[in-house]
Amino acid sequence: MTQPLVVIDALARSFAGVPAVREVSLTVGAGEIHALCGHNGAGKSTVVKMLSGQLTPDAGRVLLAGEEVDLRSRQVAQQLGVALVDQELSVVPALTVLENMMLGDIDAPLIKRRRAAAERCREILRDIGLERLRPGQLVSTLSLGERQLVEIAKALSQRARVVILDEPTATLSEAESQTVFAAVRRVAARGCAVIFVSHRLPEVLELCDTVTVLRDGRRVTTAPAAELTVERLIVHMLGETPHRLEASRQPDPDLTHALRIEHLRVPGRLADFTLTARAGRIYALAGQLGSGASDVLRAVAGLHPTADGSVELRDRAVPFRSPVGAARAGIAFVSNDRKGEGLFLDQSVARNLTATRLHKARTARSLAARAGLPEDRLADPVRALSGGNQQKVFVGRSLDRPDVHALLLDEPTRGVDVGGRAAIHRLLRDAADAGLVVVFASTELEELLELGDVILTMRDGRVVETYQGGTDGAALMRDMTEGKDAA
Amino acid sequence: MRQERLVPAAALLLVVVAFALTPLGTGVPLATFDIYNALQGFAQIGLLALAIGLTMIAGEFDLSVVGTYAVGGMIAVQAGQSSAVLGLLAAVVAGAVIGAVQGGLIAWLRVPSVPVTLAAYIALLGLAYAISGGLSVTFTNRDATLWVDQTVAGVFSPRSLITLAAFGLAALVLGGTRLGAELRAIGGDRRASRVAGVRVDRRLVLLFTTSGTLAALGGGLLCFSFASANPDPGLRPLLIAAVAALLGGVSLAGGRGNPWGLLAGALAVALLAQIVAVAYLPDWSTQLFYAALLAVIVAIDSPGLRRGIDRIRARTRTAEA
Repeated sequence: MTQPLVVIDALARSFAGVPAVREVSLTVGAGEIHALCGHNGAGKSTVVKMLSGQLTPDAGRVLLAGEEVDLRSRQVAQQLGVALVDQELSVVPALTVLENMMLGDIDAPLIKRRRAAAERCREILRDIGLERLRPGQLVSTLSLGERQLVEIAKALSQRARVVILDEPTATLSEAESQTVFAAVRRVAARGCAVIFVSHRLPEVLELCDTVTVLRDGRRVTTAPAAELTVERLIVHMLGETPHRLEASRQPDPDLTHALRIEHLRVPGRLADFTLTARAGRIYALAGQLGSGASDVLRAVAGLHPTADGSVELRDRAVPFRSPVGAARAGIAFVSNDRKGEGLFLDQSVARNLTATRLHKARTARSLAARAGLPEDRLADPVRALSGGNQQKVFVGRSLDRPDVHALLLDEPTRGVDVGGRAAIHRLLRDAADAGLVVVFASTELEELLELGDVILTMRDGRVVETYQGGTDGAALMRDMTEGKDAA
Repeated sequence: MRQERLVPAAALLLVVVAFALTPLGTGVPLATFDIYNALQGFAQIGLLALAIGLTMIAGEFDLSVVGTYAVGGMIAVQAGQSSAVLGLLAAVVAGAVIGAVQGGLIAWLRVPSVPVTLAAYIALLGLAYAISGGLSVTFTNRDATLWVDQTVAGVFSPRSLITLAAFGLAALVLGGTRLGAELRAIGGDRRASRVAGVRVDRRLVLLFTTSGTLAALGGGLLCFSFASANPDPGLRPLLIAAVAALLGGVSLAGGRGNPWGLLAGALAVALLAQIVAVAYLPDWSTQLFYAALLAVIVAIDSPGLRRGIDRIRARTRTAEA
């Protein structure tokens, strides 16, 4: 074998003293499609960011075609031939397809040659199966899937030696994914090294030549895809999994009211969702980015004005096309973005806890005690608190309110440490015991299994399976990554 | 039709039709002199509108342009008493430096442009007072004053032609190079632009340098025409320029707009003022017209209205189902 095109040698990076990637090494040859797999927090995104010039490593080195390189910025990485399809879209809706393709392309001439550029753009679109798009079309008029494909087309169009795709298919349909795979194979055949990050394990095995699995920032294994199965990949990703969902707790017969969601649809995100969630139990929606799990919660909370279907709480219809309507009907929503959609960061803890109610002073103290927040910090601005305590404030705000009957939480413990997590889980259990309907969405297997009485796995905007007990992490992972059709 | 073309086209068409119809009200036919006057008005605010509009396309707002306008005028008058070209050159260089410093602060410190440019505006007014001693400065270079406002081809003057040329140059640069797309990308989604590899910081410095240059040039030309420089032009030029930019199809959220639209917006604003003059309407009615036009444009542009429309659509869809 000739020398590998990409050599990653003992790369390491910490955030605030916490190691995210520890001495990860791997090699990718020209023409090879190399998958990077791992559960949340395994360090995949950090490796990708270091390779694409968005983060500098604390230690280790990267070699391209045998030469050590310093990838200190996106521009430098591009100049060295590293193209990236970002997990978060980096196409700009305000620009046309053509303009997006040229954006940041260091090979693009400063002075545009319109006809040649449009011709080349059309060629690339044809290559990736997007003949239906015109180069002059505004990206804001495209669907999410189409935008993702434009992003991929853009990366493929740059004369790259290394193409990194970070979760490129998370929001794509099956057919669109196939289009992407075909394009990726063509790129590899041209002699590029491709690094492919995905949660969807069957597609990893279908597309890639080699798979590297990361766990807790370390490389666990690197093996040819042909020697792996989805089951073995999951074992590598999770390690030994003691997590099991025990036989479900029985619903309290005194608590009869329920949140009834029927045929909820959100165009382009959620195909069809029906659930009757009883008071006193905790319902967990398990799904990766793009699965629709968080869209269920957002739609019921009134944050998707285009949603349709029907939602009833305590036998009353919930007007769920506005946040105010949903809140009036007794639905409290805790978003996954506590900074953007939740807390008043510059206001005190006490004010944040009581922002949605009238009786302030005593309530703030009792809520702080319930949420496990130190009383002497009530006057501090929320911004000064740790992520875990901020999240406790966010959750605490919806507790002990007579007008709230259903509590919806999207990633209730994102960015929260172990201690904070246990406290928040206890709060949610107490809330359910007090007679609330609790529904949460999460991608964390431990959390799903620990907290959920009923777990619904979701993928591609649909429910894959409903578990009332007797499942384990591997089964959930399989549903979330594989879906029903492949099982 | 895209909003960035629809808005300025609609605004300009509306005002042109109104202008053409004014003889019906006044009973006096329009003269070429009226068009010349409208273009003089355009020259007065055009460069400011272009300066502000360009920063708005990139999602920023350069409040300091009116300060640079004042300082540019003051420098042009004081340095141009013997040579007008030297005066304009000095003003333009000063404007470029003022803009570059602000752009550098905004880009490298990653601070929003409004507080930075607001501080710069106040500082520049102070500077203009310091240079002039707080008094208007008379421009004694009569030849230059006569030259900038002489009629060319009946309706133009060197001042309005220079202003038009600036718009043409901006359109050529932004339309013909990748700078135009990059500017809109920075305004549309800054994070994505960085990930895509746009040198956002450098572009911001270039942008504010350009807006400073344009504002100083505008101020210099105006003071040549008035044969005097006033240390405080007030906020009116800024507001009118902002109205022109908004009528030009630039979005307050950034990411949208082009120099042709800005040109249409500035012409619409100038023509509207001329209608008021021709029809002998009271001066305050100009402001009411601006406000009314702006209100319509802002409403067309508002996300609230769009969300409302989405919601009505969703509701009718449910009703059909």
